[in-house]
Order: sequence, then structure tokens, then C-alpha cells
Amino acid sequence: MSERRRRLRLPWRSSARISADIDDELTFHVEMRARELMATGMSEGEARREAVREFGDLDYTRRYCASLDRRGDALLRRTQWLEDLGVDLRHAWRTMARAPGFLAVVLLTLALGIGANTAVFTVVDRVLVASLPYREPDRVVRIYGTDVPDGIQEGQVAAGDYVDYRRRQRTFQDLAAFTWADYTYVGPDRPEGMTGLGVTANFFDVLGTRALLGSTFVTGDDSLIPAAVVVLSHSAWKRIFGGDPGIVGRRIIMSDYPRTVVGVMPAGFISPLREADFWMPRSLAPLLDDANRARKFRNLGMIGRLAPQRTVAAGSADLAAIARDLEQRYPESNTGIGVVAVPIRASFAGPVRAPLLVLMGAAGLVLLIACANVGGMLVARGLARRHEFAVRAALGAGRGRLARQVLAESMALALAGGLLGVALAVRLTQALVALARPALPAMGPVAVDGRALAFACGITAITGLVLGLIPVRGGGRLASRQALHEESRGLTGGPARSRLRATLVVAQMATAVVLVIGAGLLARSLSRLRAVDLGFRPEHVLTFRVELRGTKYDSAAQVIALYEALHERLRALPGVVAVGSTGAIPTEGGARSALDIYGRDVPPGQLPAVGYNSVSDDYFRALGIPLREGRSFEEQDNEKATPAVILSEGAARHFWPGGGAVGARVRLGPDPSQPWAVVVGVVGDVRQDGAAGDVLPTAYVSARQDTWAGRTVVARTYDDPVAVASAARRELRAIDPNVPITELRTMTTVVDESLAGRRLPLWLMSAFALLALVLAAIGVYGVMAYAVTMRASELGVRAALGAQRRDLFVLVLSQGMRTALIALVIGLGAAVAFARSLSSLLFGVAPLDLTTFLAAAAILVACAMAATLIPAQRAMRVDPAATLRGA
Amino acid sequence: MARAALDVLPGTVDVLILRTLAWQPMHGYAISQWIRDRSGGVVAIQGAALYQALHRLERQGWIAAEWGASENNRRAKFYELTPRGRTQLRQETASWREYAAAVSKVLAPA
Repeated sequence: MSERRRRLRLPWRSSARISADIDDELTFHVEMRARELMATGMSEGEARREAVREFGDLDYTRRYCASLDRRGDALLRRTQWLEDLGVDLRHAWRTMARAPGFLAVVLLTLALGIGANTAVFTVVDRVLVASLPYREPDRVVRIYGTDVPDGIQEGQVAAGDYVDYRRRQRTFQDLAAFTWADYTYVGPDRPEGMTGLGVTANFFDVLGTRALLGSTFVTGDDSLIPAAVVVLSHSAWKRIFGGDPGIVGRRIIMSDYPRTVVGVMPAGFISPLREADFWMPRSLAPLLDDANRARKFRNLGMIGRLAPQRTVAAGSADLAAIARDLEQRYPESNTGIGVVAVPIRASFAGPVRAPLLVLMGAAGLVLLIACANVGGMLVARGLARRHEFAVRAALGAGRGRLARQVLAESMALALAGGLLGVALAVRLTQALVALARPALPAMGPVAVDGRALAFACGITAITGLVLGLIPVRGGGRLASRQALHEESRGLTGGPARSRLRATLVVAQMATAVVLVIGAGLLARSLSRLRAVDLGFRPEHVLTFRVELRGTKYDSAAQVIALYEALHERLRALPGVVAVGSTGAIPTEGGARSALDIYGRDVPPGQLPAVGYNSVSDDYFRALGIPLREGRSFEEQDNEKATPAVILSEGAARHFWPGGGAVGARVRLGPDPSQPWAVVVGVVGDVRQDGAAGDVLPTAYVSARQDTWAGRTVVARTYDDPVAVASAARRELRAIDPNVPITELRTMTTVVDESLAGRRLPLWLMSAFALLALVLAAIGVYGVMAYAVTMRASELGVRAALGAQRRDLFVLVLSQGMRTALIALVIGLGAAVAFARSLSSLLFGVAPLDLTTFLAAAAILVACAMAATLIPAQRAMRVDPAATLRGA
Repeated sequence: MARAALDVLPGTVDVLILRTLAWQPMHGYAISQWIRDRSGGVVAIQGAALYQALHRLERQGWIAAEWGASENNRRAKFYELTPRGRTQLRQETASWREYAAAVSKVLAPA
């Protein structure tokens, strides 16, 4: 009986099976009892009835037993499964621990792959996906003014137009406007420059964000002059006011005017246009009342909240129709002026969207390589363990059980790699954000969060699954009798597995080619950008920004006086060659203006646009912009004199092709009541919009004749410009201790930062490409070394038959090269598609740049060759005698 | 049969089953017969109570079950005592004896 019991021990049963078993068991009992009763003389029917009666509650017993058995079985199933898994994992750990080097390489590879992806995802998610801190953010749009004649696509709108848009639109809940506002807060220690936004009172209602402390603005009639109040950003509240919990209600002096703090926004709140320290209500009345500015001075940014069920396209079309009507009505100011609405997220992500997506793709490729690499190593190990599997199968382990063991191993590997990867990603994200900061939108802190962790878990699980499936699939028959045979014949691994490994290596190398080409194209773009002549000499120049605000600087004369004094003092510093100042330094963009030329009679709406900048006398000398003709600005160009204009070479050539620009009479700006100015000189072209921008024909005016209170000072020095930085601070403080210095940098740093957005993808892509190359080289080495070991006897025989050592070397090398060439063909093909997707990031380089492609091919071949050399040398040293003896 | 069999006292079913299976593995019906015979027909376990107890004890791991063929070649479920069940039987027998002795003392005529 004991033997029967062993045989019939069931692992677990289905629910129906359990019920059937119980019915069988109980029926058996009742029937046996009935038979016994019949033996005492009862009839069959009587006996059966009596047996059932005696039994008691049959139905309840049936249900009771079934529920007990089901629970027991489920438990059994779970414990059995967990026990098996535990065994598998212990087994995995034991085998791995025996090869710590292998384990370390695998974990490092996986950690790099998963870490890089998680870090890039963290940034991508934050910038492109994560929800914005607004109520129903999908309904919030950013509205840009467009200016067809000037080629402006993401510009501002004029106050008069804003009022029309707001009143006449039918698709928005409301529109709000905002503009730059810069103030100086004079705190107990030192003056603090604050950058913020002047906004219409309904600004926060349109965004739908509440204050963390206090409140935002009370909305009401916009025509009322807004109260002197201000809402602070979380970071300004912490930074400038030390997180004072009693800040709400406090009066602070901002550029001489008292303002009451009414609220503090929550951390992570971001607003369009710029990273703001504060928001204050701004009345549009002064703009609307000035006929020359109401529709011509386009300085307002616009946002809107769409009405429910309205699309961005519908909102955009609605506003565009109003814009067309305004063109008809005010041709002088509005010809060519349009408007376009985009989802607010797009306005934040705009320029970094393409590079981020490319990087996400590149990171994906790295993970692919990591998987292929680790997969290859696992296959190689699987070969070594073939015997083990065969033995286990022979001992009765099922195919599923073996597959699960492989899967448990790969999952454990992926999990450990994933954990390391997340730790790595935390660091990588910091580095990435630090690197990308100048190019990223103002989004507040970016760190690995729950979503990034979920992503990491996801890719870890996929990685584990892929890693587990590679050997299972490639192995085909994990455990066959054939394996035992092969093992006993001293052969390890069938041709299927070698082919699989070779395929994986080809995949790795092909992917590496793609990444190397990507990095190469970006590197060439950046070097082209660096080689672009910006039109000035950035070396040895110190620059800093000065903003004059408050009652002391209400008049142009006061502003001019301060800058003259500052220039004077800086010039007197030892080591300083020349000092100038400007409204906007090159690479940081600048203003535009219409250019009217005396005697040409161009209608006002069709005047050409030129770059416009207000500069001091010595500005051109300080930046090293060459004077081509005429003279620079001089003391005589003061507010009483005839306005003087200096044109860029491009402007002079474009508008006076036959020469004769100097002495011509021109007028800048749309106001026909302005007096005509005289062109006094021509200077070299400057790339005001940075290396990638166009050279815009530009008109310069004297700082004495168009005085801007906020200016950037440039000081050329003999040596290191940083050496005079503290002296510059001291001199400004001596003139007015309440004026802050901001953005103190060297001009080379300014140029560098203007390329930051370009450098980020290049650095990352290069790092990925390098990683890919190293992994691919390891893969090639592994396969070739294995092939040499496999073919040792064949090589030995060849040597014995008289093959030269050189021949053996070439034999192995050519095999390695064949793999590399296949990979190269596939990789170059894939790179064509990849390079096209990069095109928006390229400058001065075609996506299918031959040099880059050839260089990448050479790098890959060299890499494969280097990885093949050692195995090839080993092939040379095969001892024919040993082979013959062994055979 | 002089008188009707007594229904078994609640709480004693488990120990009786364990004791029976300590003799040899058997199916449910055989267990009920064995108990009846050994008690001289005095103690009878109702089928419902018996099978509920059997499945409960199986779940507790004190007995194990296998399907097999009965004496008349019917498919029947056989139960056997596990090592843990044997330990349990020893404990329950001891405490039952103690209890029975205590009850007898109380009931003894003064």
C-alpha cells in the first residue's frame, strides 16, 4: 500500500477535481454503510436512506471539505513554488559566486545600461511629460505674437492687441498677459537683484495655481491701478527672506518703492518666460494711453486658459482671425502681425525636446548593447553549464523547471543590476542636470522620483526577461540526451549557440556604430559652431550686468552719469584696456527695430527690420569689433546733438550696395515724429544670436542718445579678466552701494554657455558611444577567444600539416574582421536613419556626412581588430604536438 | 445490539481518528467501523463529523491522504498518520487520560 501511496501523491488539483474527489469519498462511505445495512435484511432503498440519515449533514460536509481542501491546495502550490524559487535563487547565487569576475562585469554592464536610461528618463519625464503645476494643465496655452516681415515666430504682443484679443475671443475662459520686471531688493546685507514678471491681475487664475502662503492677486477691474503688492516665489522666499513664516503682510522695498508681500507660491511652481523671483500686478494703462506704443510696442507675453472642450488649434484659429482683422484696421502697426497658441508644455520644452528624445533613444541603444553583451556572456556560461542542465534533466527536472531556473537567474541578475543602476542614476541625474542647466527650461529641482523608479523597475523586468529568453531560445533544447553525448565526446556547445553569440556580437557592434556616428556628427557640429567667427574677440573680456532701478535713476541723465563714472573707474584699474557697455552682449540676442532710409519712401508697414542695440563709445573697442568706416560714438553724440547711428557691415552693404552708407540719413523705430539720424560709421558684423544664428544687419545707437537703465558692462583686460572682477565690484559699490552686480562672467564663458544646449547631447552621446564600443570590444573578444579555444585542435592539425604561424594568425583575424564587416554594414544602414533623426541638432554637417561615417567605420574596425589580436596571437601559439598527442 | 450507540463526545473525534490511524492507514469508512468495533459498539462517529475532522486533520498536516483501491476494489481515499500526527496523538492521549481521570474523581461517590 505504501508504494501505491507514493505513486498517487498528487501535487495539486483543480477546484472541480477537488469537489469530485470529495463526492467520491463520501459516496463510498454511504454505499459501504448501505451494503452493511442490507446485510442485516433491509431493502436496498431503505438501507440507502438509513445510511444517508446516519451520515448527518451531507451537503454541509461536502462544502466544508471542499473549501478546506482548496485552501490547503493553494497554500501547497504557493509554498511549493516559493520553495522551488528559493532553490533556484540559491543555486543561481552559488554558481554566480563561483565566478565573481563574471558577476561583477555583468552587474556593472547592467547597472550602466539601466542607470543611463533611468537618468535620461528622469529628465525627459520632468521636462516633457510630468504634469505642470496648474489646474487642468492641458487647457493652458502659451500665445505668441508672430511677425512675418521680421521672421519672428515666438514673439510678444502689443498691449492694445492683447486687449482686443481678450475682449473678442470666444474660445478661451480668459487670457492673461505678462512682461519682464526686474527690481533691486536692498536687504540688510547687500543689494539683491530680483528678476520677475509684471502680470495682469488674472495671471494666476488663468494658470489655476494657488499660493502656498497668503494669496495671489485679487482679480477685479483691470483698469484700476493695481495695489503695491507682490507674490514671491518659493525659492526667493527661502533665498532672500530666509523662509520667514511671517512674510505675508510684510512691506519690502523693491527699487525704492514699498510693496506688500501678499503671498508665496509653492515650490516647483513655474511660470512662462523665465525663472521668476516674484510676480507683481502691472497696469497696462500707461501702454494703452501712449498712441505710439499701444500697438507698436510688443512687449507682452500671453497665456490663456481654453474654455472646456476647446482645442489648442481652435483657440489659435480664433485669435488668428482677430489678428487678421486688426491687420485690416491698423495697417500701419499691424501689417504682418499674427498670433499663435501652443500647449504650454511645448513652450517650456521647446528647444530641448529634440535633443532629449534623441538622448532617450541613444540610452535605449546602450541598454540594448548591455543586454546583448550580458546575453552573450550568459550564453557562453550556458554552454559551460550544458552538462549540468543535461544531468538535471536526466534526473527528472522538467523543461519548464529548467527554463524557470534560467529565468530566475537572469531576473536576479537584472534586479541586482537594476538596484545598482538606480543608485547610479541618482548621481547621473545630478550630473546631467548640472550639465544641461543652461539649456533646460526653468523647472525647479529634477531628481529620481517615483515615476523614474517605476520606469527603472519596468526596464529591469524587461531586461531580466530578455536575458532569460536569450539562452532559453538559443539553447533550444536546454536539456537533451544529445547534450550528454556531446559532453562525453568533449564537445561543448552546438553550432546554434555559437551562431547566437556571433549574432549578439554583431548586434552590439552595429549599435555601437550607430552611436559612434551620432557622437561624431554632434562633435563635428560643435566644432563647426566653435569655428564660426562671432565677429568679436571674446578672450580677455570680463562682463557683468548692472540694473539701475528706483527713484535715483528716473532720468536718463542720472543713468548716463552712473555709467560714465563706472566706465571711468574701471578704465583706471590696472590691467584694463578698454571698457564699454551695451544693452545686450553678443550671443544673447537683442532688440529689433524698423529701419527707414531718407528718400526711399517705404510705407511704414513694410519697413525692413534690423537688429538694434544701444552701446557706449568704447564698446566696439572693448569687444574687439573692428571699425570698417567712419568713426565710433564720441562724447559729441549727446542728447542735444543730431542722433548718430553706426551700422553693421552687413546692413551697410545690404541697404547701400554701391557704398555711401556713412553720411546717409536714417530713422530707427516706427515713430515718424522722430528726427532723422545720421550714419557716422560702419563696424564688423557680429553674431548677436550666437554661432548658430544668422548675421542680422544691425544698427547701433549711442547710449547717450538712447539710454537704457539696464546694461551689460564689458571690460577688456591684458591678462586674466577674472583678476579684475572683485575690483569691479568695489568700484560699483563706491559709486552706489545699492546697485547689485549680476551675471559676472568672462566673455568666453558667455560664448561657452551659449553652446551648452549643443554640448549636452554631444557629451552624452559620446559617453554612450564609448561605452558601446568598450562593450562591443569585450563581446568580440569573448567570441573570438572562445572560437580559438574551440578550434584549438583544428588549428593544431593545420600547424602540424605545415601551416605557418602567420597563416593561423591571419585565419583568426579574418574571422574577426568578417564579423566586424557584417556589423558595419548593418550599423551604417541603421545609422542613416538615426542620423536623419539627429538633423535638427546638427550645424554645418550633413546627416550623411561621409567623413563621420568613414571615421566611425575605421574606429569600429580598429576596435574589432584590437579585440581579435589577443585570441589571434593565442592561435599562433597553438602547439601542434599537444594537439596530436591529445587526439 | 443491546442499545443504540452513543454519539461521540465533541472534542474527542480528533484523538480517536489519530489513534485509529496509528494502528494502520485506512479509509474513512474503515475508521468508523474500527472505532465502533473497538468500543464494543458503544461509540459511533457520525459520517459528517468524521469527514470534516479528516479533512481538517489533513490540512493541519497530522494525517496525509492517498487514493487507492479498497478491499472490494473501489476507488477509496486512504489516510495515514504523519510523524507530526504521531506526536500530536501522544500529547492528546496524555491530556485525555488526565482529563478523564480528573472527571472520574469528581464523579466518584463520596
